[in-house]
Amino acid sequence: MTTLTFEAPADPILERRRQIQGVAQASLNRRKTYSKIAIGVCWAFLAVAIVPLVGVVAYVLIKGLPAWNADFFTQVTEPEGIPGGGVWNAIVGTAVIGAIATAAAVPIGLLCGLFLAESDGRIAGAIRFTADVMTGVPSITIGIFGYIAIVSHTKQFSGLAGAFAIGIIMLPVIMRAGETAIRGVPFHLNEAALALGARRATVARRVVVPAAMPGIITGVLLAVARGLGETAPLLLTIFGNQYLQWNPTKPMEALPLVIYNNSSQPYADLIQVAWGAALLLVVVVLALSIGSRVLAAVLQREKR
Amino acid sequence: MRPSPGPNDPAVNIGLEITEVREPVDSDMTPQADTGPRTRTARLLAVGLVAAGALLAACSSSSTPATTTAPPGGTISPDNQAYLSADVKAPAGALTAAGSTFVQPFFTLAFHNYTGKNQGLQVNYSGVGSGTGITDFQAGTVNFAASDVPMSASDLAKVPAASGPVVQIPDILGGVSVSYNLPGVTTKLKLDATTLAGIFDGTIKTWDASQIKALNPGVTLPSNPIVPQVRADSSGTTYIFTDYLAKAAGSAWTLGTSKTIAWPSTAVQTPKNSGVAGSIKSTPYSIGYVELAYAIQNNFTYASIKNAAGNYVSPSLTTVAADADQKTSVSATDFSIVNAAGANSYPISGYSWAILLQKQTSETTGAGTVKVLDWTVHAGGGQDVAASLDYVSLPPAVQNQDRTALLTVTGPSGQVLLTK
Amino acid sequence: MTTTETPRLGTAKRGGRLAVPNGAYRGLLAAVAVIFVGLVLWFVISIIVQAKPAFSTLGFSWIVQKTWDPTHHKYGLLPFILGTIETTAIALVLAVPIGLGTALALAYLVPHRLRASLGTAVELLAAVPSVVYGLWGLIVLAPLCRDYLEPFLTSVFGWTGLFNGPNQGVGLLLAGIILFVMVLPTMVAISRDVLAVVPNEQVEGAMALGATRWQVLRKVVIPGARTGLLGGFTLATGRALGETVAVALVIGNTPFIAHSIKSPAATLPSLIVNNFGEATGTELSALFGAGLVLLVIGVAVNATARALVRSTARGGAASVAVA
Repeated sequence: MTTLTFEAPADPILERRRQIQGVAQASLNRRKTYSKIAIGVCWAFLAVAIVPLVGVVAYVLIKGLPAWNADFFTQVTEPEGIPGGGVWNAIVGTAVIGAIATAAAVPIGLLCGLFLAESDGRIAGAIRFTADVMTGVPSITIGIFGYIAIVSHTKQFSGLAGAFAIGIIMLPVIMRAGETAIRGVPFHLNEAALALGARRATVARRVVVPAAMPGIITGVLLAVARGLGETAPLLLTIFGNQYLQWNPTKPMEALPLVIYNNSSQPYADLIQVAWGAALLLVVVVLALSIGSRVLAAVLQREKR
Repeated sequence: MRPSPGPNDPAVNIGLEITEVREPVDSDMTPQADTGPRTRTARLLAVGLVAAGALLAACSSSSTPATTTAPPGGTISPDNQAYLSADVKAPAGALTAAGSTFVQPFFTLAFHNYTGKNQGLQVNYSGVGSGTGITDFQAGTVNFAASDVPMSASDLAKVPAASGPVVQIPDILGGVSVSYNLPGVTTKLKLDATTLAGIFDGTIKTWDASQIKALNPGVTLPSNPIVPQVRADSSGTTYIFTDYLAKAAGSAWTLGTSKTIAWPSTAVQTPKNSGVAGSIKSTPYSIGYVELAYAIQNNFTYASIKNAAGNYVSPSLTTVAADADQKTSVSATDFSIVNAAGANSYPISGYSWAILLQKQTSETTGAGTVKVLDWTVHAGGGQDVAASLDYVSLPPAVQNQDRTALLTVTGPSGQVLLTK
Repeated sequence: MTTTETPRLGTAKRGGRLAVPNGAYRGLLAAVAVIFVGLVLWFVISIIVQAKPAFSTLGFSWIVQKTWDPTHHKYGLLPFILGTIETTAIALVLAVPIGLGTALALAYLVPHRLRASLGTAVELLAAVPSVVYGLWGLIVLAPLCRDYLEPFLTSVFGWTGLFNGPNQGVGLLLAGIILFVMVLPTMVAISRDVLAVVPNEQVEGAMALGATRWQVLRKVVIPGARTGLLGGFTLATGRALGETVAVALVIGNTPFIAHSIKSPAATLPSLIVNNFGEATGTELSALFGAGLVLLVIGVAVNATARALVRSTARGGAASVAVA
């Protein structure tokens, strides 16, 4: 902003104006300096955040890429001492378990999120609170729960038991992120739709959820990312399987299990497989993230 | 040793009413079975077959070499191959087994090779930890379990009474190295039990402490504080290490023998062998105990440890085997082999154990279980791949003992499941 | 209804024709909420049943005793409770300002072209399995922490007495830093989304009034996104409290009360994950008890956060939303 100045004879009014302008200018300068510092701090924090995160990803890339070859994606696990082999059985397991857990947790989580966003009563408050506490439950205790609830009853470790545990881990994340996203939708959209005579369900389906879609996608992705990367619940429920298994009622392998088990082995090639699997997990989530964004954009365009 | 009662191991295929009598296992090489009496059915059949068995035994014993001068560790029973080649008869199916992470690479490779010979039977082993393996076994969710320390009486009490007795057999042998990260010291250190006890209970605080100096004359030791690295999780490795300290250092070791120890606050605790190995690697002036395979694979420097004969022995597949050879009969209640006699014995060694029900609930999976385990614990079978993974194979006497134990395992109607 | 200012708008205005479908809709939502509550109750009851033997043999005092020594039947949880709170606190002290600053930068400062890709990158980082963070911490960060960060902090802040003891790398500080790195993506991803949806009219209005960029962010954007930010912080806190594998690898796992930020310590989840595989009897039950205590800590932390926000909340929206 530039200060306006007038070439004019001394005039008390102009003089007064000049004084006010001076004070305003000083204030502006002060606020601008302050703003510059604060914005600079934000940039600095961004840098501080990027350094370790880039470090972790670079580390996974460097350690994991050498493990990648055609066999890695197409062959089942071979034991140490047998060359070759891959993690196809773990990819299948993670895909099946992740799909079941997501299919169960997303609708329940989103409807719960909608419920929370539309309710302000004591009950909703209690549920919101419960969801927040559940995000802090160590995943291993949820694994124990999966074991007690499913495995010890069916006497059978299974992909389903793992999906159950993973679904419970994903659920509160989806709920809270979904609620946050839905609450962020400007209220006038909602009001306009209601004023046109739309039913609440229609408003939710046609107005609120689409408007909240970016936030919902973020929330679901965070939940899926967290669910796919969880090790402890799987350790107690799906058992692992060196052989290819598509049937979720049977013991299955999964990528986090490969990472966890192999990274604690003494042999260099098993550890490398662990890093390869870690990289794969990251890439899968990257693909999901980009894919769902593209999908959302396409859906948005079709609607218009 | 138990006197051989005529035909030692009647193998009976009841379904076909054909009896097949095995040649007797040489009594000199058959250690005491620790797994309780045979089932009644088997014993009755054994009595009924005494005559035929004795006849066959008489014929075959002439071909059995006398073994009065058995080497330490014994020799493998002569009919080994007959049993091992029987693996092709194992029924098709899928077994699940869980437990010790220590045996996982070995089991996985052994079972893989077994599956290669016998396409019908798949064994899915999961390294969930010995304790979880035992819990799974008690709950009946696995066909067999593996543990670094055999199930104790209180563990056994939790097996449902209806399941009957439990058979526990050594499946592989391992050594525990004392590895360290000591910048500037290239000489291999010598340590004894008393000094190790002092290092790990926190009373010996620096590398140049007089006790360490006294054992390593001529080595220039730094004055830095020692950082002991120990297991945070409950572990068979900790059990074997502290068992050695308790037996060899006597009253100097006060923290007891257990899978978990109340370590002093100076000790850094990390979960799993790999965690301790990683922590030793990244921490100068630290010392810790890890399974031998981890020390070898990580190129750690590890100490020579004073054994019962007073020699300083470096851990290796040979010296661990030498330690195990000193005790030819082990059982679930008498399993410790630490600090054994013998000039070349590495004193911090121990067995890992496979655990199964004596009376299997299914003839099919039961036969698969005993056959794959028998194959795995014998030379000519699974033990042959042990060295390639830095495991130590079982002494022949223990292999024979395992077979005797597995021959007591029966199906639901009492038939012996391990056949030639 | 999506916001909170106007209660019961839909139901109040339309009766008759639309009441039933709306009722069915609300019924569906309520039914799903009941499913969630049922799952949680089932979970909590399962854990309580498992933990019960520990309480019946040990009473209640074991929870706050100082000694954990299963060999001698001592199951004190105090060191682990403190360790859990301390590591989470270190993580949050770092993550709240840095996470918020990063989210603001990503939502408003970074050039438009970069926003989407950076946003995706941040979500991606939330997917890195925690065991990877743990290994990276143990192998890469621990030596850096021991050789540079700890000596530096000791020389600058040594006078506080918080940095006594040797520089070991592993310990509370490193565990807190790993947790910070782990929760950062979660926090940034959610914060960025809620910051970005603050209505443009408000932002433009503030700018038109002559507010500086920082003033807009500070006075308009952050207050507008308060509820969502709280949600993000809560998710991050939850994750920090409950993280197991990564912490177990870098905290040193000594069952003693830490006397310094550099000391090795242990947390409730690391205690559980380290001992669960081999525990039996009372010890196993005590581990479930540790899980219960962690639930209680989670309840306490969440309640405190809520109370704090409620007491400082200005507008009705924020206060109702956190009720």
